[in-house]
Amino acid sequence: MASRSELEAFLIGVERRAFKQAVFAVRDQDAALDIVQDAMLRLAEKYGHRPVSELPLLFHRIVQNAIRDYFRRQKVRSLWTTLLSSLAPGRSEDDESDPLESLHAAGGAQAGEQPGDLLERTQVLEIIEEEISRLPERQRDAFLMRYWNELNVAETAQAMRCSEGSVKTHCSRAAHALASALKARGIKL
Amino acid sequence: MNENQFGDRVRHILNQGLELDSAAAERLRLARERALEHQRPEPAPALRWADNVLGSLGGWSGLSLRLLLPAALLVAGLLTLYAWQQNRQSAEIEEIDALLLTDELPIDAYLDRGFQDWLKKRAAEQ
Repeated sequence: MASRSELEAFLIGVERRAFKQAVFAVRDQDAALDIVQDAMLRLAEKYGHRPVSELPLLFHRIVQNAIRDYFRRQKVRSLWTTLLSSLAPGRSEDDESDPLESLHAAGGAQAGEQPGDLLERTQVLEIIEEEISRLPERQRDAFLMRYWNELNVAETAQAMRCSEGSVKTHCSRAAHALASALKARGIKL
Repeated sequence: MNENQFGDRVRHILNQGLELDSAAAERLRLARERALEHQRPEPAPALRWADNVLGSLGGWSGLSLRLLLPAALLVAGLLTLYAWQQNRQSAEIEEIDALLLTDELPIDAYLDRGFQDWLKKRAAEQ
């Protein structure tokens, strides 16, 4: 069983990545925080007694389910909003801001780093995050689980409830799409 | 550059973006502490055994698929077998009835006590 300190260490290790992953999916920082908060609570309440080795898989599955639940709720809400907005004056397009723009830029500038380098690094990060959030949902999930969270193919397949072949296909397509998009924007990794 | 190398580079860049503003970092910290307060305690030995069995079956969702589905199929199979046997029995009775009705010997003969005595006697002689 995972002790309190082991569970805490696990959550500290995954919470920020899970938050960013949720931001890529829902494009709303507050909603992403809610998702991660619910996922952490669900993990501790339901699976807090499981061995530490099982936690990464369980946590990723819970986060995915929480994101799916969020979209289900949004769908219902947007239906009501559409119905009500047809009666009330609509919101101007100018009011809508891209949630990614509100994301805090990458900090942690190393001592001695030139401002130009920092700017370039921040811009590259922003573009990559933007392009990742544009990937189809399943491709993005597979790619981030495999290469960011460093789950192996079998674990990713288990978390996504699909075959290992599907994971490989999703990852390959995501990598190619991302590489093409970055190339088109003049970024070379 | 192959897919793995590309993935590694992307991971390296994404990790640079893990710095959050203080408000978000604080909310995550509070959420983590709240989760830790609600950590499920270790179950009693008997419950732990049951939980391990369930876990090995893939949890409750795995249980429903791996145990309940075959059980449902078994029950459906037994019901089909029972219905088929009932049909066969009634078909046999119908066949005997049909043979009796189409026989040259009238049915009343079988009810006649003298005829049954005669059959027994004849069987004993043979």
